[in-house]
Formats: sequence, structure tokens, C-alpha cells
Amino acid sequence: MRRFELAEPQTLEEACALLNDDGDAKALAGGTALLTLIKHGIFIPKTLVNLKKIGGMSGIDYDRQRGLRIGALTSIYDVESSPLVCQYYPWLAEACHLVANIRIRNMATIGGNLAHGDYQSDPPTALVALDASVDLTRGTGTRQIKLSEFLLGSYETALQPGELLSALVVPPPDSWRGTYIKFTTGSSEERPCAGIAALLRMEQGICRDLRLVVGAVSPRPVRMHHAEEFARGKEISEAVLQTIGAEASRVVDPIDDLRGSASYKRQLVGVLVRRALAAVIH
Amino acid sequence: MKINISTTLNDRTLEVSVYPNQTLLEFLRDDLCLKGSVEGCGVGVCGSCTVLVDNRPVSSCLMLATDAAGKRITTIEGLGRNGALDPVQEAFLKHQAFQCGYCTPGMIMAVKGLLLNNPHPTESQARDYLSGNLCRCGTYVEVLAAVQELAGR
Repeated sequence: MRRFELAEPQTLEEACALLNDDGDAKALAGGTALLTLIKHGIFIPKTLVNLKKIGGMSGIDYDRQRGLRIGALTSIYDVESSPLVCQYYPWLAEACHLVANIRIRNMATIGGNLAHGDYQSDPPTALVALDASVDLTRGTGTRQIKLSEFLLGSYETALQPGELLSALVVPPPDSWRGTYIKFTTGSSEERPCAGIAALLRMEQGICRDLRLVVGAVSPRPVRMHHAEEFARGKEISEAVLQTIGAEASRVVDPIDDLRGSASYKRQLVGVLVRRALAAVIH
Repeated sequence: MKINISTTLNDRTLEVSVYPNQTLLEFLRDDLCLKGSVEGCGVGVCGSCTVLVDNRPVSSCLMLATDAAGKRITTIEGLGRNGALDPVQEAFLKHQAFQCGYCTPGMIMAVKGLLLNNPHPTESQARDYLSGNLCRCGTYVEVLAAVQELAGR
């Protein structure tokens, strides 16, 4: 592989200082995304800051009031196999399980997945539906912002120079029921052509609340606010499913990529949204 | 500048120096002459370079050698004991679960990882777990037969 300098800080403060002092330095977590870009010559680093020797940045806590807190260096596999995640957020476990293959999930971290800002990924879509937030630290102080405001576009995030994503915070699941659907146009471990997260709150057959997020078709996961509004207070009949699917298909702004053309993705979104909602209801 | 690390490879503790940009796969093959783990795609897709880190399968082509520090690495060379093959290797032979053999070390390590994680996988669990190990000769059916025997199903 191409040569680079490797800094191996032992603390978060040290890592932030290194990133702050050298604007060209890039943080390295699981490495499954960044090392691939380096191998392909797409990214040419001078200095990488290896985060894996920092202690205390992985682990999963759950509290009924505060919800879920996941350290940034927790592997995707540890998220999908966490009994807490499986019990309270099964659709998040599913979205993590659908990432790449077992080897990548053992290596890749949830913080790296989010900070990388790759729109062709599964966890961000499920996490935006869950209204998750991320902790961004400079070592000295920490700010928390919504994931939906953190993910700005393809490989673009709200991370400032010298900042690191240190933890992921997910509100309590309350009475949401949900699902995450991944659709690939290649083999099973492929990146998603489209990913749909649907969370539904039903009361006596009536939709009290809906969160619908379409991921991987455009540069960031997109909440379908109109469709959510339309569904509230309605019985989710076949006709309502059709309308919501059509609305999602109309609203998305897909981009052409290796996984499908924009017009294909637009068509696909309508179908997948109906499937996702039907899966939650039944 | 090289980085000094201490790691456990196939049950032996090693004190070694590695380059910052050296992958674990390069370190195993070029520095230690352990040629069992092979590079296929180089980007974590094919599984030919699968090794176990703390009993979990990873792509050694995407892992920096320095990250082996403090970890327990198991490669295909570490499976047999006293000249005897590992049960996974025996099952692969019995079911002829290979053809050209290029993917075989990685496939065996992935099966090893599966069985350490779940000693009695169903066929669908095995398919799911092994879906990221590609065999271009198409020996999947034989691999799954070997796994089902190992799983006692």
C-alpha cells in the first residue's frame, strides 16, 4: 500500500490535537472504507491518525429514559449482536447485519461508518429514522448534533477540523415498531441500491405516527415528511400504502450510480416503501 | 519508521516491527512467509485473506499490521495440531469442498469463525455467515455440506 505516516494516540484529547494541528491528517478507525480508498488511489494521505489504540471508546449502554449510547469504536457486528439493540431496536440490528460481510462488520466501526459519510450504507438510514444524534468532541468540549444534520452529502459531514465523532446516541424506542429493507442490485454483500427505514406507531388500527426514511438513492438519507404527515390518523389500507409509496417516489431526488440509474431508483423507492410499511403492519 | 508490536500468532507470542502502511496480510506473507492466507480482491469482498482476530474472521488485506498489537491472530497455518488436521479441514476433504483451492484457506477460516461463534448453525445461518466468502469454482454446496456435518445436523 502507498506510504503514509501513522500516528497512534492513546487518548481522545491527543487524537483531536493531532487532527487539529495537521489539517491534512485523517482519522482512521476500522479502516475498511478508508484503506480501500487509499488502495484505489482515490485518497492519498500524508498522515493517518489511528484511533484504535484509544481506550474506552467502544461499548453499548441502554437506559429507559436516555435510550442507547454506543461508543464510536464499537464494531458494526457488536451493534447487531448486542442483546440490548436486538431487544429494543431490532430494525437497527437488522440494518447493521445487512452491511457488507461478517469480516467487514467485525472490523468496521459504527462511528467510522457515520463519519465516513458514504450514502451507500445501511446504518445511517435506520439511525436517521430513529432520530439519533452524534457526539462530536474536540477533546476538551463536546457538542451533540442530530445525525440528520451531521450527514450533509456524499462524503460530507458537519465534522470540523480537529473534531472526532465519539459516540452515537439513540432516543428510547418508545412504542415504535419498525423495519429496515435493503435492496441490492448485485450480490447479497453489495452496498444498497436503496434502503428504506420505516417506523410506525399504531393505535387500534390507526397510524398515530410514522417515520419514513429513504437512504442510498441520494447523497444523504432523506425523511419523507409529507408521506409521514399524510399517514397520521389514517388506517394503513392498501390505498394509503399506494399513496405513500407514490409520494416517496415523487419526492426523492435519486442520483445515477453503479447500483442503478436515477429513474430505476425512483421506481424502486415506491415499491420498497410499500413493502416496508406492509412488513411493519403484518 | 517501523512500529514495534507484541502479538500472539497461532498461539505463539511475537515481538515484531511492522511498517505503518503494511497490512496484516503483507506482514504474514512477506515477513513471516506464511503463504496460506492469499490476496484475492484486496478490498474485503472475496474473503481469500480471512484470518481470525480474537476468534472473529476479518479481512487481513484491510487490517493494518500494527492493529495486531495485543490481539490473538489465527491463520490457516495455526489450525492443525501435532500433524493432525483440524476437524474443519477434515470435513472439507471428506466433502471435497474445494476445486482450485484458492479460496479454501479463507473459506476454512470463515467456517472456523462461524463454528466458534455458533457451534450448531442451521443451513441458513451458515449461508448468511459465509455469504462474503466467494468461491469462483462454485463449491458452495460442498462447503455447506461440510459445515452441516460439523454442526452435527
